[in-house]
Amino acid sequence: MPPVLATLLSATLHGLVGRVVRVEVDVAPGLPGFTIVGLPDAALSEARERVRGALRNAGYRHPPRRITVNLAPAELRKAGASLDLAIALGVLLGSEQMSADIGGVGLVGELGLGGEVRRVPGLLPMAIALRDRGVRRVLVPQEALAEASLAPELEVIGVGSLGDAAACLRRPRARRRAPEPLPRIGVGLGASPAGAVAGADDGLDRVPDLAEVRGQVAARRGLEIALAGGHALLLIGPPGAGKTLLARTIPSLLPDLDDTAALAATVVASVASEAPVTKLQRRPPVRMPHHTVSYAGMVGGGPRLTPGEVTLADQGCLVCDELPEFGRDVLEALRQPLEEGSVAVVRVGRWATFPARFTFVAAMNPCPCGRLGSAAAACTCPPGAPQRYLRRVSGPLRDRIDLWAAMDRVPPELLLRGPAPESSAVVGERIAAARACQLSRNGGVPNGRLGGRALREACGLDGPAVARAVLLSEREGLSGRGTDRLLRVARTIADLAGRPVVGAQDLDEAARFRIPADRFALGLAG
Amino acid sequence: MLGVGRRGPLGRDAGPEAGGGASAAPQALEEHAAWVVLAGARGVGPVTFERLLATFGSAVGVLRAACETGAVPRLVEASAAPDAPPALTAVAAATVVEAAAEPERALAAVRRAGVTVLTQRDESYPRRLRQVELPPPVLFVRGEVAALSPAHAVAVVGTRRPTAIGRATAGRIAEAVGAHGASVVSGLAYGIDAAAHHAAVRRGAPTVAVIGGGHEHLYPAGNRGLATAIVAGGGAVVTEFAPDVAPSRGTFPRRNRIISGLSDATIVVEAGARSGALTTAAWALEQGRALFIVPGRLDDPAVAGSLAFLREAGPEARVVAGIAELVEDLGLEDVGVAWAAAATGDARSAAGLGAAEALVAGALRRGAGSPDELVAATGLPGAAVLAALTTLELRGLVVEVLGRYQPTGRLADCPRRLPRAMGQGAAGMPAV
Repeated sequence: MPPVLATLLSATLHGLVGRVVRVEVDVAPGLPGFTIVGLPDAALSEARERVRGALRNAGYRHPPRRITVNLAPAELRKAGASLDLAIALGVLLGSEQMSADIGGVGLVGELGLGGEVRRVPGLLPMAIALRDRGVRRVLVPQEALAEASLAPELEVIGVGSLGDAAACLRRPRARRRAPEPLPRIGVGLGASPAGAVAGADDGLDRVPDLAEVRGQVAARRGLEIALAGGHALLLIGPPGAGKTLLARTIPSLLPDLDDTAALAATVVASVASEAPVTKLQRRPPVRMPHHTVSYAGMVGGGPRLTPGEVTLADQGCLVCDELPEFGRDVLEALRQPLEEGSVAVVRVGRWATFPARFTFVAAMNPCPCGRLGSAAAACTCPPGAPQRYLRRVSGPLRDRIDLWAAMDRVPPELLLRGPAPESSAVVGERIAAARACQLSRNGGVPNGRLGGRALREACGLDGPAVARAVLLSEREGLSGRGTDRLLRVARTIADLAGRPVVGAQDLDEAARFRIPADRFALGLAG
Repeated sequence: MLGVGRRGPLGRDAGPEAGGGASAAPQALEEHAAWVVLAGARGVGPVTFERLLATFGSAVGVLRAACETGAVPRLVEASAAPDAPPALTAVAAATVVEAAAEPERALAAVRRAGVTVLTQRDESYPRRLRQVELPPPVLFVRGEVAALSPAHAVAVVGTRRPTAIGRATAGRIAEAVGAHGASVVSGLAYGIDAAAHHAAVRRGAPTVAVIGGGHEHLYPAGNRGLATAIVAGGGAVVTEFAPDVAPSRGTFPRRNRIISGLSDATIVVEAGARSGALTTAAWALEQGRALFIVPGRLDDPAVAGSLAFLREAGPEARVVAGIAELVEDLGLEDVGVAWAAAATGDARSAAGLGAAEALVAGALRRGAGSPDELVAATGLPGAAVLAALTTLELRGLVVEVLGRYQPTGRLADCPRRLPRAMGQGAAGMPAV
């Protein structure tokens, strides 16, 4: 039998991006063997065993020949099991157990020993990568058909087993398009690692409505402004003030994502999720990592360049409760995403840049005992302890927080008899309108990322407003960065009110969300 | 004044290499340097110092005597007064002998700390402190020496663990007296002391910190930045302890004596049952200086000491009835500082408030403190309340402490009208 070379197209995942891999299978006479070359990782090297088992159990022969699988480009490090299907079909073609036209066809899927085709994480970005390389048809695991179908302008065929795939390639007419996605209730990532505000309505994960938060006008307003303008917000208050409850209402306040953002969020979900993603992620993700999260867990990394919490929160919201309890290096790592909207993960020989455009909401106690500034109880911390506590959040990170809102426990009187608070629906509508308005004005940039001249132009301050801004800056002794912070927040306040230019009243309100007034007492001077 | 730190070595022949002729060292010392050496010896307080000086005629004389054989019993004997036992123990006398043998050690510590030394013999020794009984013979000063003898000086002291209100009150008082040209004296401790110093520094008013240890052991370390800011702002950090003296239990009460001694009046803001601020208050009365105590709620542990002291001290201790009243009682006059009006409350600043601000101001006066309470009391939307608070703050009518708001300045003044029988009428009282 003459040697036959089969060449197939597949893809692997590199960070959040699919990389097209050309799978070349050479079945040659010689001592029986199975070699995979081209920088495979451990999971990929084990493809030999999976392919061998799948071929046998699906009713094919595993040819007793010298099988060499080359993965091109050779210098690209390949990981995962996404190439299994392509390798198995390559062996079938190379050993002439089948013949098919595989030009312009992509194959992505992991094989079970029984020949079944299983989903791999990151199917969506892989499908997109194949499409971008001119592939028009992609065979994917049946169970993840809906996920891959989210890639626009691509014919996607779901296959349940190796036999299905072979049959499908022999009869290219029998294609199956994804069914319409089922409506799904809930927010966040469908099935995701611990820490997500999941959508399941089992009471524990229920998203509270803003109407359940009584009192706390300053903090509520701060949250509204933060979500509307994409500003970083820090809630400071004693235990029991309602910081966590307030943070948990965030999913009910964020508007739906537009098409581009939704696709980006879905790509992240596709990479991070262990179950197939069934529809476009219209709801922005809200991540609440626990303060014990590791550095790699926060920014991403690991042997396979897995995205971290900051990337899982891309297009949505990252909530850090008990901010000073987070590791110092973890907090410092937040600076880059807060500044640039992305994070670079570098490993030996590999690197990836992950998107991380999230709204940052953090909460903390004012001091270790939690009672500083509380009306009800006196702080029992030793002298200097509150200052040290706050300094765990470093100056550069504090500088990136636009909004500071103090909270105190709501007295029972107000809790039971206070004015009825606005509901999430009402506030969410204002947020959505303010977002739409600022994005169209700023050319797609949220107010929270404005600075310098763009910010001044966006504010359009008139004479009296400039005088007010100068007065406030001087009174607070604000640096240039502090003044920018004031203007950014004022711009969003004006957007929430539908005012085209920022007025003195907006600046006045913005000034209330500065770093706490007695920053001298807190040792934050200078 | 003789700046030891700036002038370099004083005892020219008293370097370590001169150790062979130990008895020769003191003769080479100038009297000023001898004061530093003698006052710096452990166990030598103002009493001992005075008695030794009386016996030997000069500090140089004392050190010379200490270098002779059999000096210890002689020094102990000399430290006794006709009607009092010796102030010096044999152990303490031995330290004097040691210090006299190696005067350079004390002088080097002073040079190392880079501080200015003031002795009672110096012109610029603070005049108020000179008037108290047994003033410290030597002061070690970092910063502006002239700041120790201002036209007016007011001490603001209190607990190291104040309530938020106490902290704000200390700041307001410091601002107000600073605005009227008085220097603010305090002890650089956490809490009330720091709040008073901070307020003065922030407003550019001179302030003096009296520390309870040597300059090399600045305590508390957390206020090191504040100390630097005080010096940079034209104030001074001062102590009677040599630079290498570590603070200890005994040094702080002695520090308190200097705080009150440097001031025309002492104001106690918050003092718990065992607060050290009360020793400052007692010293102020002892030294014949004015004493004011900020009263508080009954049963409030934060002011338990203040109230007990008021009860015990009798009419000499006065009450702070308001910032403007305090300024008046202190006899301070408007010196034309721009922000004085805002600090003490000025009728003009309350005028011209918008409708929302007026509503919020009214609610603040009725005791609403948090934005929630203000929203409930005024019926205004949260955004309007927050904006109004900034307007009020810019006018000096409200201060924020960690999310709670208190009326201040003019807005904090309560309408006060005294009965005619008291003979004061309403003249001079602010009408609201």
